[in-house]
Amino acid sequence: MSPLIELVGITKDYGAFRALSDVHLQILPGCTGLLGPNGAGKSTLIKVLLGLVHCTAGHGHVLGIPLGTHATAIRSQVGYMPEDDCYIHGLSGIETMQLAARLTGMQSTEAIRRSHEILDFCGAGQERYRSVETYSTGMRQKLRFAMAIVHDPALLILDEPTSGLDPEERVAMLNRIRILTRDFGKTVLLCTHILPDVQSVCSRVVILAAGQVRISDSLEQLSRLPSPALFVHFAGSAERFHAALRQYNLASHISGPQQMQIAGTAEDHSNLIWQAAAVSDCTIRGLVPSRNSLEQIFLDAVGQVQHAHS
Amino acid sequence: MPIHDPGYRTWQGPVAPLATRWMVIAEVGIRRAWLSSWLRRMMFFAWLPACVMGFMVLLYEQTSANDPSAGRTMLGLSRMLIDPRSAASSSFTDVQTALERRDQSPESERHLFWSALLTTLFRRSQPFILIPMLGIIVPPLISQDFRSRAFLLYFSRPITRLHYILGKAACVMFFLASVTLAPALLLFAAAVLLSPSLSVLASTWDLSLRIVAASLTIMIPCTCLSLMLSSLASESRYASFAWFAIWIFGELAWTTASRSAAVGSNVVISCLSLFRVFSDVTAWILDPRLVMDDIQTRLVLLAALSAVSLAVLFRRVSAPMQI
Repeated sequence: MSPLIELVGITKDYGAFRALSDVHLQILPGCTGLLGPNGAGKSTLIKVLLGLVHCTAGHGHVLGIPLGTHATAIRSQVGYMPEDDCYIHGLSGIETMQLAARLTGMQSTEAIRRSHEILDFCGAGQERYRSVETYSTGMRQKLRFAMAIVHDPALLILDEPTSGLDPEERVAMLNRIRILTRDFGKTVLLCTHILPDVQSVCSRVVILAAGQVRISDSLEQLSRLPSPALFVHFAGSAERFHAALRQYNLASHISGPQQMQIAGTAEDHSNLIWQAAAVSDCTIRGLVPSRNSLEQIFLDAVGQVQHAHS
Repeated sequence: MPIHDPGYRTWQGPVAPLATRWMVIAEVGIRRAWLSSWLRRMMFFAWLPACVMGFMVLLYEQTSANDPSAGRTMLGLSRMLIDPRSAASSSFTDVQTALERRDQSPESERHLFWSALLTTLFRRSQPFILIPMLGIIVPPLISQDFRSRAFLLYFSRPITRLHYILGKAACVMFFLASVTLAPALLLFAAAVLLSPSLSVLASTWDLSLRIVAASLTIMIPCTCLSLMLSSLASESRYASFAWFAIWIFGELAWTTASRSAAVGSNVVISCLSLFRVFSDVTAWILDPRLVMDDIQTRLVLLAALSAVSLAVLFRRVSAPMQI
């Protein structure tokens, strides 16, 4: 797969402050999560991708279009959903949508038809005829998402698309992102602080910290532990189960209430684990390969930077 | 829930050229501004002077055809409409002298009469409409975009700063043209139609070009200045206050300075008030017989004002992206 976004040595300085430092990055088709603590340079990276700011050094391309000189060509194929509220005073939802569509070059009539179609897809009802100022946070979020996809872009950059949404709306929003990625082949760059969202829809993850790319890999690859282990969810006495496992020479540690992590693979040790459970009078409720959580990966990546700085 | 929900569908269709995107911004700006009832009222009053002058043209044509002396009386009246106490009043003596000579041909008399009416329109009535009108419509144009972060909506699309500024400027110019260029051109067209024959065009055609030039002289600096003020604040009321302050304090400074000034410093003093500068320049453009002192200084001032305003405007519009 050829990368849709490729950045080579991108550096961006705001005066004396270096927001991005020698960023090398490849974004493949599919959904990629862009993670990073506050001030990591995520917003600057998005601005560089959209051609809103010029990078101090480095080069790259977005959808095969070189950065820097062809910003409008890039933006005509990219849908950007900003995190911040953005609307035009006095316009209704449908008028705002129509404006967004027309700014990408759609004819007036086609823009209004397409706006209705996309608002239907986003689950917006009759409130589309109300002024945007009267919208709730969730409705504004939907409108921003709708504006980002109205011109059917090949690449979507979504900045915190689920923040401020109730659980039901959050699931619906993630489903829409999933549909666009899976059924319509859109490439999505999902910038968020909500790690379960990334785990839910993204296949790859990029972690940015202190203006540098710390991690850029598939989620599958990242969540593998350095040495294989099994995660057991059980019912019964943890002490007795732990002692029984020791009798069978299995290294284990209690990772939580009614949870145990055991070194080794299921092929080699599952029989012994079942026997230990029988001996200790415990019931095994779940036995799966143990994985690194995204939270742990994120904390490790950010922690490395903080450690280096201290 | 829609009656027919096909879910997401891909889209392919004709895309308008990039160079026309500013028109979308202008159209939205015009539609939003037109929602103001104050603007609609002002627009009504902006056309009244042109209607009155159209009636004066009708009277002139009727009376001068039967009695040339009555026509001359009307011509004299029209010249009196132009403020004789203004800074440029001394220059009107040439015209007064020409009138007194009584050797004007009907064509040159008509030209004189029409240009007097147009000068009056540009000097005496329209400024009092366009200043408050711009004070209402322009301040929110850019400042509200900053406050509601609408620039993200614009600049995440294939829109450049130039398109954005062009769109906003076109919106302002549309309203300015509808209170300066449009009534003046329509007055000219009405005057041609009310005259005895279309042959009058041969002696008055230059007035149409002068109207366009005078209108542009007002429209370009006013647009640049008002948009710049709008871009300087995220609260539109501050921009509005600054806009009115420029005109009011300028006029007060001119009044104070002109009372205590020495003879010969008229140009410098008149430059204190934008109102006077526009007044003198448009009068000079519309009536070639007026001899203005050092008109170049005023033209340079307007050009510099436009250039500086544009430079600040471009800088301000790109500022939010640098954050």
